[in-house]
Amino acid sequence: MTGEAFVELKDVAKRWNGQLGVENISLEIEQGSFVALLGPSGCGKSTSLRLLAGLELPDEGSIWIDGRDVTTSAASDRNLSMVFQSYALFPHLSVAENVVFGLKVRRVPRAERNEKLGNALKITGLEGLEDRKPSELSGGQRQRVALARAIVAGQKLCLMDEPLSNLDAKLRASVRKDIKKLQRDLGITVVYVTHDQTEAMSMADKVVLMKDGRIQQIGSPDDLYNRPANTFVAEFVGAPPMALLDFHVLDGLQECQTLGLRAEKITIVPFGTGRLSCTVSEAEFLGSETLIGLEHDGVVGLTVLQPGLAMLAEGERIDITFNDEDLHMFNEVGERIDRH
Amino acid sequence: MSKLSHYIESAGAILLAVIWISPLLFAFWAAFHSTSDAVNFNIMSAWTLDNFRTAWDGAPWLRYFMNTFLLVTLVLIGQFFFTTLAGFAFAKLEFPGKNLVFILVLMQLFILPEVLIVENYAMVSRLGLFDTLFGVGMPYMASAFGIFLMRQSFKSVPIELHEAARIEGCGLLGILWRVYVPLAKPTYLAYALVSVSTHWNNFLWPLIVTNSPDTRPLTVGLSIFGAPENGVDISVISAATLMSVAPLLIAFLVFQRQFVQAFLRAGIK
Repeated sequence: MTGEAFVELKDVAKRWNGQLGVENISLEIEQGSFVALLGPSGCGKSTSLRLLAGLELPDEGSIWIDGRDVTTSAASDRNLSMVFQSYALFPHLSVAENVVFGLKVRRVPRAERNEKLGNALKITGLEGLEDRKPSELSGGQRQRVALARAIVAGQKLCLMDEPLSNLDAKLRASVRKDIKKLQRDLGITVVYVTHDQTEAMSMADKVVLMKDGRIQQIGSPDDLYNRPANTFVAEFVGAPPMALLDFHVLDGLQECQTLGLRAEKITIVPFGTGRLSCTVSEAEFLGSETLIGLEHDGVVGLTVLQPGLAMLAEGERIDITFNDEDLHMFNEVGERIDRH
Repeated sequence: MSKLSHYIESAGAILLAVIWISPLLFAFWAAFHSTSDAVNFNIMSAWTLDNFRTAWDGAPWLRYFMNTFLLVTLVLIGQFFFTTLAGFAFAKLEFPGKNLVFILVLMQLFILPEVLIVENYAMVSRLGLFDTLFGVGMPYMASAFGIFLMRQSFKSVPIELHEAARIEGCGLLGILWRVYVPLAKPTYLAYALVSVSTHWNNFLWPLIVTNSPDTRPLTVGLSIFGAPENGVDISVISAATLMSVAPLLIAFLVFQRQFVQAFLRAGIK
């Protein structure tokens, strides 16, 4: 990794009439890293990616790729590839023709083209399907054709827009690993848009969490999970999400407005000995553990995990306890207060 | 009851079909018999090819066929060129006054070509294209129907394909050629059918704007051949008519399935 950022967005903004675009997007991406843009739908993550790709032009700010100002460059001049959510395979072309489409457009000689095609098909495991049309492929195969097209030209930057959202859950997990391996093996820089936090957390070196067109937090998956910058991040990241407690609920912690607490840091204790007495609102058996939802005044999303099958009746009262150092503190506008 | 209505419907359909095809059947009958046998419907009379021989010697048919073929090809090429570019512009590009211009193009659909014959004649003469095949074909090249059809077809192409091609390095015309045109193939086929049959059969405009056997298409040639001042011989005229419609008719019978499918697919998209 070089010190200089490979991709850089500086104060980028894009607005549509009346519609929310993105504001104040500043982001640095190192070469060879895997960056996930994460957020609920409509948060501007796809817009950010399209700005980076050159499919949209920003109203403000500048975009740099590989030391070049590409703010107003055409998409074709940015030396990047892209995987679309719908794969965007050309239905009238065969697999092989789809993969080498860009090489043909850029007039790469036939011999070189064929060599690169063979390579890309081998990497993505598509050998033998060269002559099929996209309509004759399964969803997973189409997805791999899109990947092959993205890597065949050897571009250093690859953008992916929710590439797994059209696959079933089982396939998603395996393709996730494949993409991560591909990125590492080829040493390419990937910017990956997703609304699925599992994807972002499991694949990315760096996660950019967005909401309403603004970046909420940039950091490693560890940062986002263990040091959320604000209450939105705390509630968005993690399954189950972090519980938020009004500070009145607990005594002696008056310097903040809201407290955050992860489910795995909570333990159930005998009645009368806990710090908080709650009512069970639901119990969900997940296989290796049971997720128990709790209710208490001034508390949102409080859950506790119990190993194995440990169903509790709805309405039952239990006591819980936790350590002070596991509490996250947020001020009145929801921003994190770091403890010293 | 439903069985009865079923029979009535079938009978009606067959009746319509017979009425529809009877002129063609009569022409076919007449073309292969001598005039007196033809009009007397003498079933047992002998079949003959004499009418074709007489008709063929009576006019420069080869020249007429050539002219019609060239005309239809020229018009189709011109239409593909203009309707593709215009349809693409209306479907995917933004420019000031786009909607107004498109409405103007659509208004052309409401105007019968015959209304414009005088104006077109003056225009073609001014351009010095009178009595040339180019002059015959030119007024039809920027077809409003074609532009509308192409626009609809291009509009149905998903935007992701456009964007993917952009990222892969295609320019605007490259995208049009490599993505939009191949995807609109059924539309092109359907449109070609309509265009070819229309211009193969077009009569009034070529009659006005052509003046010599060198440029005359089949329809005009046929009407001059069959004009009363040459004497009316139903059998010979029928033979000449059959010759004129044969290429199109045979093509339609052979490719019937593909034609119908092309129309269906162009409609679905």
